[in-house]
Amino acid sequence: MAPLMAQPTANEDDVLVRVENAVKYFPVKAGGFIKHTVGQVHAVDDVSLVIERGKTLGLVGETGSGKSTLARCVAGLIPVTSGQVFINGTDITKLSRGAMRPLRREVQMIFQDPYSSLNPRRRVGAIIGDPFAIHKTATGAERKRKVQELMERVGLNPEHYNRFPAEFSGGQRQRIGVARALALRPKLIICDEPVSALDVSIQAQVLNLLSDLQQEYGLSYLFIAHDLEVVRHVSDKVAVMYLGRIGEAAPAEELYDRPRHPYTVALLSAAPAADPDTAAARQRIILTGDVPSPIDPPAGCRFHPRCPKAQEICAKVEPQLVRDQSAAQPGDDGQQAADAGQTDASPMGGDVPGGWAHVTACHFPVVPGENLATAGAVAGAGKGDVA
Amino acid sequence: MSVTEAAFEANEAQRGQDSVTRVEGRTQWQLTWRRLRSDRVAMISLAVIILMVILAIIAPVFASITGHPPNTAYPIQGENEVGNPIGPGVNGFLLGTDSTGRDVFVRILYGARISLFVGVVSTAIAVVLGVVIGLIAGYFGGIVDTVLARFTDSVLAFPYVILAIALAVVFGPSLTIIMFMVTFFSWAGIARIVRGQTLSIKEKEYIEAARSLGAGPFRIMFLDILPNLIAPVLVLGTLYIPNAIVFEATLSFLGLGVQPPTASWGNMLADASNFYQVAWWYLLFPALFLLITTLAFNLLGDGIRDAMDPRTERLIAARRMRKRRARARKQAAAAEVAADTVNG
Repeated sequence: MAPLMAQPTANEDDVLVRVENAVKYFPVKAGGFIKHTVGQVHAVDDVSLVIERGKTLGLVGETGSGKSTLARCVAGLIPVTSGQVFINGTDITKLSRGAMRPLRREVQMIFQDPYSSLNPRRRVGAIIGDPFAIHKTATGAERKRKVQELMERVGLNPEHYNRFPAEFSGGQRQRIGVARALALRPKLIICDEPVSALDVSIQAQVLNLLSDLQQEYGLSYLFIAHDLEVVRHVSDKVAVMYLGRIGEAAPAEELYDRPRHPYTVALLSAAPAADPDTAAARQRIILTGDVPSPIDPPAGCRFHPRCPKAQEICAKVEPQLVRDQSAAQPGDDGQQAADAGQTDASPMGGDVPGGWAHVTACHFPVVPGENLATAGAVAGAGKGDVA
Repeated sequence: MSVTEAAFEANEAQRGQDSVTRVEGRTQWQLTWRRLRSDRVAMISLAVIILMVILAIIAPVFASITGHPPNTAYPIQGENEVGNPIGPGVNGFLLGTDSTGRDVFVRILYGARISLFVGVVSTAIAVVLGVVIGLIAGYFGGIVDTVLARFTDSVLAFPYVILAIALAVVFGPSLTIIMFMVTFFSWAGIARIVRGQTLSIKEKEYIEAARSLGAGPFRIMFLDILPNLIAPVLVLGTLYIPNAIVFEATLSFLGLGVQPPTASWGNMLADASNFYQVAWWYLLFPALFLLITTLAFNLLGDGIRDAMDPRTERLIAARRMRKRRARARKQAAAAEVAADTVNG
């Protein structure tokens, strides 16, 4: 990857979050009495991204791709192994807990499971009032008033202040989680699969609430999901993760319309289509095998053992995130850069995921119109040679 | 028709009202109390414990009513012509007298004061200690956990009777030493349970949520984790009280606890073991009180556990379901046999 622009520029103001080469390894311990490290889980491996103010960056990828770990690194919940996470220009990776505290107000999280993310033994009023209590911003009657305002804002009955989480439905519980995240008026809310535990009908309600709140408060979202349609609906930019790395990133429509990484293509082809005609017409790309172990990720491109287009180089040289060199759509890049009023020199430009450019880490990007489903058979022999 | 309709409507209205009242937020404690109230054994145990506490508190009242202070011997009224204890109901001694002619009933009540005091207070201290140590070990993990958990294990591995005897010999038997020992040997079990629970609770998302809000470790431990531990700790505490009572009685029985003439169930039993051939009541009644008290605490603890654990209810329901299915199967088999005989 091209070295990132560290010096602040005029466009730095547009960047709320900047992650530079974040790495998170979890040690694998073995031994009964004397523990020693026998390996590392490469949960997040050299990931860089930016999140613009007031925008949503969607993060997709299958289970175990490191989405949630990355989110927790951005939230400062787990320390990164190396790399930097800048929030509003401050590197949070080296801050003590005390110094981190004011920044906690800027970044909040909404969790996946509305059942385990609310303490079953505490009343809703206490749960939503916690941020005020921890940051000592409101006490007594004022806190109660603020909590009830929040409850009303997210569509809960403020009179239910004294109820326990168990007395609410899944959707209502997720609203409680939203209210809690909103309490300190953060700039960034990390949504870790906020709707995947909910009914489809409830999902829409919560997503609409999130987008209303974004407009009202100018929030930025880091939106993690494995439901591609949900991500498309809410995101301005989308990054696709596979085995701890970002394989492809682009503005949402661009990514969905012109996916270039074979993994993205496969992922998109696996998404259920509502229209039966569309469903019948599309060509599913069935990936063979499982996700390789993140303890010992494949050399070269991490996707190569399952990639229908894999060739010898894929197993040896790791592809970098680059813009489309073939310039299949010459107008697009220039057009978007002009729209955003940005240049390569700005941190929003370059090849950072979350910026305006469409970047892909693949030696042989998929070109529009290419049929990957048939490519699999051709490349199959080559793949065997590689392995 | 209209009658049934009216009845139906009344029924519906009734049900509507019920559901309205049912929606009113019922807390965990209200639910527990409701379940506990329907548990007859637990309620009887609770009544017995309350009665025992009242009796212990008003023991001096009985002493003044009977006119027999606990440590006063009555060589004339309290002993028969050969100097042996006299039986229950004789000469106004409700449960007879002991070897020196003291009132067994009054002494049992005074003994109850010591037993309940030691049981409840030592257990309370042990619970506080165990919860704090278990929470810290479980939440912080790492080296803190290793040190505390190993210490807990070594306390649990201690041969407590030997230590108790050694301490009593070194420091001289006293109530403080007894309570110290009871506490010392009770907290470890609680700490271990609390640590285990903390380990599982701290991985919950709501703990992560609290951390993302900037809550400190102690706020998380005592405001977020502790409320989830109250149920097991309460059950455990209730079950530790009888252990403490028995431990005190054991030490006193061995002469290492409460010293005569102060009455305690343990030292009464020790003394009675020399006289049981001539005075069965002297051995029986203190033992009976000890048994009833510890049994009541144990049964109440079990009841609280069942009441707090909603799974118990499900277990009962599952058992009922199994029975119903077995009955249905039997009936089906019988019907088949009947059909066969008709056809045959």
